[in-house]
Amino acid sequence: MNKIIIIALMILMTGCSFGEKRIKIFSVEEPRQKLNYPMPTALQLEELKWIIITSENAQEVFKKLEEAGIDPVLFGITDKDYQVLARNFAQIRQKLQETNNLLEEYKKYYEDTGNSE
Amino acid sequence: MFGQIKMVITVLLIAGIAGAGMYVMKLRSDNAILKANQSKLESAITEQNKVLEQQKADFTAILESNKKLNVLIGTFKKDLEELDKRFTKKNRDIGKLAIDRTEAIERIINKGGKNAARCIELASGAKHTEAELKATLKSEINPECPQLANPNYVEYQ
Repeated sequence: MNKIIIIALMILMTGCSFGEKRIKIFSVEEPRQKLNYPMPTALQLEELKWIIITSENAQEVFKKLEEAGIDPVLFGITDKDYQVLARNFAQIRQKLQETNNLLEEYKKYYEDTGNSE
Repeated sequence: MFGQIKMVITVLLIAGIAGAGMYVMKLRSDNAILKANQSKLESAITEQNKVLEQQKADFTAILESNKKLNVLIGTFKKDLEELDKRFTKKNRDIGKLAIDRTEAIERIINKGGKNAARCIELASGAKHTEAELKATLKSEINPECPQLANPNYVEYQ
């Protein structure tokens, strides 16, 4: 009789361990959203006119300006400073080109090959 | 006495059979685990190979990109040297030239300014015009930045 009770108790106690679903925890990798900024808009520069003024043509230049209804005043730089200005502009252009190229390369690397994190 | 021996032998026999059965079960279970391990290892190797290939491709892309940027930076130096040369070639003095041939130099300066402005537009990402792309002669190019403005122009000595 005791044996039957013991066996019944064992079955009763272990009965719940069968058929119980186990919780599974899993993670799904969600790729980071792409930034997708458009490339910067290209510049559209306005044209400007250089006037060369020497001691010989100064009066003629100012006269022409007055005739054209433009204030007879000029903002001048020397020939040496003109060279410096040209060089400075060339450097600005190069920096712009370098930065744009870097941006394109980054975009290509992280968006074309799926390396985005 | 004989009955007891028989019982012991029977128990031993049953225990042996049960042991053998359990051993076979264990072997089967081990086999299943080993098969699962093998499959996992194979898939891990495939994954690793994929990662290695991706790393190789990335490395190539980085090298290519670096090379491209180095070439670009090399052209910058050359552009600046060319610009300096234009002002100082053969002991040229732009100031004196401007006094002697004012109108001609004014035209050249304005044309140069226009070309330089176009270079800045292109550097900021503007699209090339048909003429810029087709330019292959020295007379057709933008001398301020030929590498940038005229990709099809090959400089001849």
